[in-house]
Amino acid sequence: MSVVHVKNLKKDYQKHEVIKGLDFELMDKKCIALLGANGAGKTTTLQMLSGLIRPTSGEITFSGSRNGDDFRHLIGFLPQHPVFYDWMTGREFLEYAGKLSGLSKKDSKIRAQELLKLVGIEEAKNRRIGKYSGGMKQRLGIAQAIIHRPKLVILDEPVSALDPFGRREVLELMGSLKKETAILFSTHILNDAEEVCDEILFLHNGRLVESGTMEQLRDKHQQAKIDLEFKEDAAQYAGLFTDVVKVQSQTIKSNKISFFVEDIELAKIGLLKVIAERNLPLVKFEISRTSLEEVFMRVVEK
Amino acid sequence: MNQWLTLLNKEILEMTRNFKWIWVPIVFILIAVMEPITAYYMPQIIDSLGNLPDGAVIELPMPSAEEVLVASLSQYNTLGLLVIILSSMGIIAGERKTGVAGLILVKPVSYTAFVTAKWAGDMLLLWISYFIGYFVSWYYVGILFDTIPFIDFIQSFFIYGLWLSFVLTITVFFNSFLKSPGAAGFLSFAAVIILIVISGTFSKWVEWSPAQLLSYASTFIMSGSNSSDVWSAIILSVFGIIMLLGGSIVIFRRRELA
Amino acid sequence: MELSQVNWEFIIPIVAPIILIQLILLAIAIIDLVRIEKVNGPKWVWIIVILFVNIVGPILYFVIGRRNN
Repeated sequence: MSVVHVKNLKKDYQKHEVIKGLDFELMDKKCIALLGANGAGKTTTLQMLSGLIRPTSGEITFSGSRNGDDFRHLIGFLPQHPVFYDWMTGREFLEYAGKLSGLSKKDSKIRAQELLKLVGIEEAKNRRIGKYSGGMKQRLGIAQAIIHRPKLVILDEPVSALDPFGRREVLELMGSLKKETAILFSTHILNDAEEVCDEILFLHNGRLVESGTMEQLRDKHQQAKIDLEFKEDAAQYAGLFTDVVKVQSQTIKSNKISFFVEDIELAKIGLLKVIAERNLPLVKFEISRTSLEEVFMRVVEK
Repeated sequence: MNQWLTLLNKEILEMTRNFKWIWVPIVFILIAVMEPITAYYMPQIIDSLGNLPDGAVIELPMPSAEEVLVASLSQYNTLGLLVIILSSMGIIAGERKTGVAGLILVKPVSYTAFVTAKWAGDMLLLWISYFIGYFVSWYYVGILFDTIPFIDFIQSFFIYGLWLSFVLTITVFFNSFLKSPGAAGFLSFAAVIILIVISGTFSKWVEWSPAQLLSYASTFIMSGSNSSDVWSAIILSVFGIIMLLGGSIVIFRRRELA
Repeated sequence: MELSQVNWEFIIPIVAPIILIQLILLAIAIIDLVRIEKVNGPKWVWIIVILFVNIVGPILYFVIGRRNN
């Protein structure tokens, strides 16, 4: 089921086009990464989706409401650098956020307690937020974003400022969150996106240059690579394979041959067959893919 | 309404945690009470400076109780206004500057409730502090000079309090579109000074100006009666407060918060 | 007029409460300054301002020093 539909979304700042027309749709219970370099327009896009800034033109339509309606009850938002009331305790802030989101006093209390546990800051719940570390604030930020069980949770660079441990924990938290709600989060790190995401929206210079599921993107852009390593100089065998494999290109380097192929399954069977029939002195057979990182570098350069 | 009370509660709690509930009333007491005390001890103070040449005679007529109470109110019109503006200049701008306003307003929070709850919180602080301060001053005037009828005190209290509320609302108004508490405070101050100066210079023509409320409260204390113009000033002040607050909401709603 | 001539019995009950609330103002400013994590500018400057600038010092601390950004 679709949660939100974005149509030809644009944003200008002083005549300068920052977002140049985005179209996409977010599905329920999916995690979508908004990937892009710094300055690509990620934060601007997320702020428009959260209602903090108004689009210059275009439509944002949440399912069940019309374009232009107040959709704030449907979303939860965590800004890149969340700031809280330092004089409140973590528990107080969550209860406050809950009540503002329309929960009753009692429900806010229960839900706050639940979330403090979920995000792992329960032991600090009665401490002033002013004394929280960056990681704790980030978790509190996630908790306040989901307290009213929104349909869409928007997280702006949720893991960028965290150390490796914090990053791991927050990613895992996001993984469990997507069972309940759709998540849209921005990042400039592909690994983070790959880790928890079902889909990627790739933003470059205010345009969506690529989008789709991980699999789709891999299939579309990735090249499979098969490395063969022999006991002896590999050049002498190269000719044997040309008929069986639809090779896009190949490189030979002393004992190694690398084939870049289109259909990895066909290539694999073909190659192994030749090797087995001729009993070639094979040492190593390796299938690898060009990484998504490389894929995106290529997309950006296009 | 529920949400509005939640927002108001937060304001009250914040003012507890940052000691506003203590320091603002104390300052309001000190501002007002200095007047009867110094007026009372002035002859002694001058005496104790002593060493006046022989023959120098200083005639200091003891001011009347009414004059001293009016002087207390006049102190509010300088220092009091300063304290009101300084303590509320970041009321919205402060939260926008740090970014916490963005975090709150992506929640389904009504902009009207957000602005009016903040205004109400500061109004509460203002009226309580002002009452305590002015009351203490009235009490001291009663001890040191002469008792002024409580009814005169309370009526002047409400008349002048309306002007203080008007000033507070001006500060809220500038907060609705400025991101810097300093700028909001400065512009509020400039606006109030202009209003006072204009009302003072052209008092014949602007009898309805909210800034005239001080003089109406004063004549009330001095003579126990009021001119009919006081009502036009009162009505205009209430109207002005509503307009400023309404304007703040409209402007604030249009602001982009990021 | 010598100090002995001053009518202390009459002055003290009037002035003492005022001095007391001034001290309260000063005390809460100091307590808050000690407990708070960050102030605008160095803390020791604010201690001096609060202690030595009568009345205005604590007020300045609360409106300027205490801004937590």
